[in-house]
Amino acid sequence: MALLPLCHRDEIPDGAARGFLPLPEALRRVIVVRRGQRLDAYMDSCPHYTGGTPMAWRRDAYLNGDGTHLACHAHCALFDIDTGDCVSGPCLGRKLTRVTLTEDQVGYLSVPAHVAGCAARKE
Amino acid sequence: MRIIGPDYLVFGVDDLEGAKTYLQDFGLKPVQLDATGWLYEALDGTGVVIRHRDDPRLPAPLPTKNMLRQQVFGVEDAATLDVIEAEMSKDRRVNRLADGAIEFQDVLGFELRFQITTRRELNMPAEKINAPGAPAQRGPNELGVWDGMPALPRSLSHVVLFVPDIDKMVEFYTRRLGFVITDILTGAGPFLRPAANDDHHTHFFIRTPAYMQGCEHLAFHMGGPTELMVAGDRFTRKGYQSFWGPGRHKFGSNWFWYFNSPLGVHFEYDADMDKHDDAWVAREAPNGPEASQMFLLQWREKWAPGGGPEGGPKG
Ligand code: FES
Ligand SMILES: [Fe+2]
Repeated sequence: MALLPLCHRDEIPDGAARGFLPLPEALRRVIVVRRGQRLDAYMDSCPHYTGGTPMAWRRDAYLNGDGTHLACHAHCALFDIDTGDCVSGPCLGRKLTRVTLTEDQVGYLSVPAHVAGCAARKE
Repeated sequence: MRIIGPDYLVFGVDDLEGAKTYLQDFGLKPVQLDATGWLYEALDGTGVVIRHRDDPRLPAPLPTKNMLRQQVFGVEDAATLDVIEAEMSKDRRVNRLADGAIEFQDVLGFELRFQITTRRELNMPAEKINAPGAPAQRGPNELGVWDGMPALPRSLSHVVLFVPDIDKMVEFYTRRLGFVITDILTGAGPFLRPAANDDHHTHFFIRTPAYMQGCEHLAFHMGGPTELMVAGDRFTRKGYQSFWGPGRHKFGSNWFWYFNSPLGVHFEYDADMDKHDDAWVAREAPNGPEASQMFLLQWREKWAPGGGPEGGPKG
């Protein structure tokens, strides 16, 4: 399986999220959230509207003010960081698209190549 | 009833510092109201008030997580406040405040406040264009664009609300507050303007389930399409996230560019909206990509042809 590199795990501060374009021409970023040693990754694509839309309000600003949830800053949707489930807001009942992270022996993270062409919300 | 439109919108936010930075970068000017509240104003004094969501000075929150707390409407005169007070007192509680403003909830529980408008009259030219066949708007040596040209929001233009019961809402704003429907996007909802405002819309209602009730976006008028593009380009370069646009809507003819925000609503730059009077007959079109825009563009990094093959132009 072809992999695309994102970053080293230390480039994501504990308790924060960052967005990475897996390729310069990719349709959507991949969001990586770090809590302690745990990393979760999702497509930067809110499931509220068909096609999915970017969720941050500024580069890398993906969490709500309290840092407890991933948030879509288009209409206040909140998502559980563990599962990607929408827990409040317009896309209640839908979820973020999880991305499989691969980590090498020294902590470099990569994602499957197909995510570079991925934008659409999963129906 | 001489209602002009929204003077400002009040939000209770969870990220106060983020919201302050955002509003300033968007082009609004901060005015500290008291120890815990800030007004971010456009050139005419309309704008957005923010406080932390736990601030006791805020009106009660909506049952949803939406951060909108109150819409503050400006009216022309004290007589209008009296008429609204009398009308609303028929079936709901109205608070008359020390400064003469009145507060009450609308039919779906949105908090409203009406006051004699605080907006300042603006006296500045619209964007000028030159075209064959028409007198030049810019004289000799007058430039259309330059580095550092101003591109600041001039006035709070409109508010879009997610509403669970659109029929009740339309009846309340038209019959009880004298708003006029200018156009309807079937499946979404109507555009409305109040009696003392000739803009195509100060409000647009979108039909949604109850768990979405709140503000969808708010918009500020710019001096013209070029100012809109310049402001949006600068905002994008600062790292803010475009949501939709730039483009030009069909109903209202206004140019648009929407951005995500830490207030959980979109902030829109708009420009060059249609004006209407009571002779206008509302149009209706099915909501969708075709009806909602004349054209849609997307921002990209500056690029220019160059660096091509030998003998071609050099980059
Ligand atoms: S687009 Fe994400 S909540 Fe509406
Ligand atoms: Fe708008």
